[in-house]
Amino acid sequence: MNEVLIYSDKPSLAAELVGFAREEEHDVTIVTFSPEEASELVGCGASKVVLLDGDSDIPENNARALAGLIDEWGVSLFAVGATPRGRDLAARVAGYLGCGMASDVSAVHLLDGKLSTERLMYGGAMVRSEEFSTPVVVTIPSGRFEAVRGVDSPLETIVIQPDMRVHLVEREPLSQEGADLSCAPRIVSVGMGVSKREDMALIEGLAAALDARIGCTRGIAEERGWVPAEQYVGISGVSVAPDLYLSVGVSGQVQHMVGVRDAKVIVAIDKNEKAPIFREADFGIVGDLYAVVPLLTDALVTAR
Amino acid sequence: MATIVACYKWVLDEEDLVINPDRSIDVSHARGKISEFDKSAIEATMQVAAQTGDATATLTFGTPDVRKSLKDALSRGPATGYWVGDAAACDADALVTSQVLASAIRTIDGTSLVICAEGASDTYARQIAPRVGALLDWPTVTSVIEMKVEGDSITATRKLDGCLETVTVNRPCVIAVLPAGYEPPIPGLKAVLSAGKKPLHELGIAELGCDPAPAAKVLSSQGFIANRRNVIFVDGDASDKVTSLVSALKKEGMLS
Ligand SMILES: Cc1cc2nc3c(=O)[nH]c(=O)nc-3n(C[C@H](O)[C@H](O)[C@H](O)COP(=O)(O)OP(=O)(O)OC[C@H]3O[C@@H](n4cnc5c(N)ncnc54)[C@H](O)[C@@H]3O)c2cc1C
Ligand SMILES: Nc1ncnc2c1ncn2[C@@H]1O[C@H](COP(=O)(O)O)[C@@H](O)[C@H]1O
Repeated sequence: MNEVLIYSDKPSLAAELVGFAREEEHDVTIVTFSPEEASELVGCGASKVVLLDGDSDIPENNARALAGLIDEWGVSLFAVGATPRGRDLAARVAGYLGCGMASDVSAVHLLDGKLSTERLMYGGAMVRSEEFSTPVVVTIPSGRFEAVRGVDSPLETIVIQPDMRVHLVEREPLSQEGADLSCAPRIVSVGMGVSKREDMALIEGLAAALDARIGCTRGIAEERGWVPAEQYVGISGVSVAPDLYLSVGVSGQVQHMVGVRDAKVIVAIDKNEKAPIFREADFGIVGDLYAVVPLLTDALVTAR
Repeated sequence: MATIVACYKWVLDEEDLVINPDRSIDVSHARGKISEFDKSAIEATMQVAAQTGDATATLTFGTPDVRKSLKDALSRGPATGYWVGDAAACDADALVTSQVLASAIRTIDGTSLVICAEGASDTYARQIAPRVGALLDWPTVTSVIEMKVEGDSITATRKLDGCLETVTVNRPCVIAVLPAGYEPPIPGLKAVLSAGKKPLHELGIAELGCDPAPAAKVLSSQGFIANRRNVIFVDGDASDKVTSLVSALKKEGMLS
């Protein structure tokens, strides 16, 4: 019986996915390609951990071999942690299996050989519910399910033949200098309306006056590199739930706003009265940030 | 000569979707556009071709309406436009789309490199590139921000969670690019005018031998409605507006 098979290149996320399978009382097996991760994963409450020993430095290179095993084992659901590597490997497995796949689901249930899912479309403007028959592949982001702990599950090793056509030359860690915004009670968020890097000092002053962390839009992190990538908010960045989210020069496109839906109060400063952010804000000022932010910073310092 | 094929999707502009009070979605006012990040896939194709001298083409699968997208796509540089226009695209999921694209790629002579974007702006599923790679059984490299191509050998830099990874791979292969690496320029007037004269090839689902039945059965689609207070200070000078905002935030208990 291999009802649900789980993989994630992040062991903590693999453990959360076991939580999902256990919640629905499915039999669950974890696969991993790394002996170190295997020893970490045996305590996660799965029936079995299988180390697929293929001797490739790139997990995605195992997709073709893994698809063969999923077919052979009669797996109903291959559930993968939604990380860049996980999505790649999962979609490649779905491609080899010729089956359905739901990406980055916000809800998922496996019942009577049917998988039902919910996911966002159009950057968050739409929620779509879908149903798939098995076998099926799904990617699940972290934070949806509680990891469980269990007695050590048996570890099995199977030798596989990876696809060696992609060679690793080097891997360079990116320094994780970014702050974790997920628990920040206040966030000041900066958008492309801030025109020069020096002007970030204005934003930092405002954030200090509010005792807030700094967040941003995708462009500020990915194109301009002014704020660490871990701090950009939205569908491809982080989701946040502060008491106060104050945005400066952020137009409020859906792909960004979907990440702040759980904020208690949203405040926007933007010079364009028609900017979509004002439809999704509790309070707002229409005005030039270069005039508004210094005044607001002073007023906040006085108010405290 | 080898051909580099850029895959782009013609999508509804999400800003034009009208969400009705019952959360149903009215798409009748929505205009089509080339999916935002796919412009970077086309730009990456042009940059690689500039290194290699290869031929360039675009490929898209959509409803018959998708033909309208070809001029915009080709104004971004590629020489030839391949398109599959079929009503089946309305219900197509990644299973169907990847089969149609892979079959189409097999018919484009000498294709040695397929470039997709990270994700389409409607689905943002990030499935198509690895699925097309699997169907063609070509190696696939995703999350690419930079590529150097010498002959058949590609050295690519991938941006992943917490690391940069450099890999090598030989053509034929499929690459998915991240937008950050390939900022698309706005096409000039001359490019737009010449795009209208470039050769187009229409391909049919039946002739490609594809089954249009999706694996995903859509049960419902609901729009999102923000429920916020929308108290916006528009009038007066900056200091009046700031005073109003600060007093509103105080009342909310946000400043204690
Ligand atoms: C598939 C996909 C995924 C995406 N994922 C994300 C994501 O996760 N996160 C994200 O943020 N984006 C994401 N995006 C991009 C998103 O669609 C928007 O393009 C982006 O959020 C816009 O960023 P912005 O508001 O900083 O810039 P802009 O849209 O350029 O807005 C700048 C704003 O600043 C205002 N402004 C300019 N000058 C001033 C001034 N002097 N004073 C006051 N206001 C001023 C302007 O009026 C404007 O409203 C994604 C896009 C796609 C297609
Ligand atoms: N119908 C389509 N026609 C051509 N290319 C597509 C189509 N759908 C997706 N793609 C390509 O695959 C990428 C990823 O799409 P998705 O997996 O749906 O997020 C897109 O950015 C495009 O480059």
